[in-house]
Amino acid sequence: MRYLRRVIILFSIVFLLLFFASENVVYAMHITEGILPLKWVAVWFAVSAPFVGIGIYHIKRKKRAVPSYLPLVGMLGAAVFVFSCFPIPVIALNGMATSHPCGTGMSAVLLGPFVSVLVAGIALLIQALFLAHGGLTTLGGNIFSMGILGSFSGYFAFKIAQRCKLPLFWCGFLAGTISDLFTYLGTSIELGLLVINKGGSFLQATAEIFGVFMMTSQGVLCIVEGAVVGFVMVFIYKRRPGILFNLGVIRDDTKSIGT
Amino acid sequence: MDFLHHTFSDVYARQNNWLTRIDVRLKMLYVISLLFINLWAKNVFVPLFFFSVSFIFLVTIKIPFMAILRSMFLPLVFAILILLMKSMHEGERVWFSASILGYKFVFREEGFFGGLHTGSKVLGGISLVITFSFTTTISRLCAGLTWFRVPDTIVELMAFMYRYIFLFVDEVATMWIAQKSRLGHISWRKMTTSLGTLCGVLIIRAFDRAERTYEAMYVRGYEGGSILTVALSPWRRKEYIFFLGMVLVTPILIYAGGLGLW
Repeated sequence: MRYLRRVIILFSIVFLLLFFASENVVYAMHITEGILPLKWVAVWFAVSAPFVGIGIYHIKRKKRAVPSYLPLVGMLGAAVFVFSCFPIPVIALNGMATSHPCGTGMSAVLLGPFVSVLVAGIALLIQALFLAHGGLTTLGGNIFSMGILGSFSGYFAFKIAQRCKLPLFWCGFLAGTISDLFTYLGTSIELGLLVINKGGSFLQATAEIFGVFMMTSQGVLCIVEGAVVGFVMVFIYKRRPGILFNLGVIRDDTKSIGT
Repeated sequence: MDFLHHTFSDVYARQNNWLTRIDVRLKMLYVISLLFINLWAKNVFVPLFFFSVSFIFLVTIKIPFMAILRSMFLPLVFAILILLMKSMHEGERVWFSASILGYKFVFREEGFFGGLHTGSKVLGGISLVITFSFTTTISRLCAGLTWFRVPDTIVELMAFMYRYIFLFVDEVATMWIAQKSRLGHISWRKMTTSLGTLCGVLIIRAFDRAERTYEAMYVRGYEGGSILTVALSPWRRKEYIFFLGMVLVTPILIYAGGLGLW
C-alpha cells in the first residue's frame, strides 16, 4: 500500500510537471545554458571537435567531386530540422502535452554519421541562438549527445538491420528508436557526471535521470519517432527510390528490401 | 507549427536601434567572454547582474515583454526544477521536511543555495544569448563567424539551413492542416502514418529543391566555392571605444565573480 502511494505521488508529480510546463519540459534533450561547469564545457567541446572536423572534411571532399553536394546537405539539414520540430502529442497524457523528435537518426541514415554530426551541431547552434533551447557553452555537450551518439547509434542500427535483411521499415524504425535512446542516454551521462565531484554515484544519477526522461513521454516518443522514420523510408522508397540509391542508403538490390 | 515563426522572426534583429548598430564582432566577443565569466562566477550576483542588465537592454530597444518571456520561459522552468532537485538531494542541514501520503520531502540548506547558484547561471547565460539573438541577424552572424575564421563549410551550411527552414515550415504547416482536416490524425496509428508521409514528402521536396537551387547557383557562377559575399566594414572609433570598454569591464567582472559572497 505504501509503495502504491509512492507510485501515485511520483506519477502525479510527473503529470503536473508535464501539464504545467507543457511541451517545454520535453525539450530537455538539450542541456540549457549555465548548467555545465567550465571544466565539462571544455571536455565536451574537445570530445565533439574531432567529429565536427571530420564532418567538415567529408563535405569538402564531396563538394570538390560533386559541387551540388553542399546545397543538398543544407536542404536535407533544413528538412530534418523542421521534422525535429513536429509537435507529437504525448500518448500518456492523452495529447495534453507535446514532444518533438530528435531527427538525428534520419539525418545519419540519409547523410552518413559524420555529416549528420555537423548538421546536428548547426541545428543546435540555431536552436540555442534563436529558440533559446540548449546553449552556447553547452553546445559541445549537446553535440556529443544528440550529434555524435544519436547519429552513430542510428546509423549503425540501420546498417546492422540491413545486414540482417530486415525490411526497410524496420531498418528505419530501429535507426529512429535507437538514435533517440542514445541521445537521452548521452544527456543523462553528461548530467550524471556532474555529481561525481559532490560524492554522488554517477551510475545511480545517470540511471535516475534516464528513467525520468523515459517516464516523461520520451520513452514513447522514441518508438513513435522510430515508426515515423520507418514510414519515411518506405514512402521515399515507393515514390522516389532514386533518392535512396543516390544517397547510398540502399543498394540496387531489390530482393533484400521488403517494405 | 506557429511557434516557430514567432520565435525565429528576424523582425527584432532588423530594427534600427543602438544594439543592432553595434558591430557583430564586438557583440560576439562580449557575449562569449561574459558567458565564461557567468560560468566561472562563484556567487549569484554576477549572473543576476547579467540577467538584469540584459533585460533592461532588451526593454530599452522595445522588445515586447511577452517575446522576452517566451524566450526565457524554458530556462526559467529549468532553473526552478534545478532549485527543487538540488534542495531535495544535496547537503545535510535540513531546513524543513514534510510527509505527504507517505512520501517524505526534505529540503536542505546547502542544496537550496547550490540550486540558486546554478539557477542564476542559467538565467544569466540565457539572457546574454537572447540579447545577442534579438539584436543580430543571421547574415551578420555569418559574416562575423567568417571573420573569426570559422570554417566556411559551417557558415555556408548554417546560412543554407536557416534560409530554407522557413520555406519548409510553411509547406509543412499547409500539409499538416490538410492532413488534420481530412482526419489524418484521428488515431495514433493514422497519425504516425501521416507524419511519415509528411516527412517523406518533405525529404523528396528538399532533394528536388537542392537540385534546382544548385542549377540556379551554377548559372550565377557557383562552382563549389564560397557562397557568402557579405563583408564587414573595418572598425571605427565607436567600435574601438566599445572594445576598450570591454577590456576595462572584464577584469572588474572577473574580480566580482570571484568573491565568495553567497
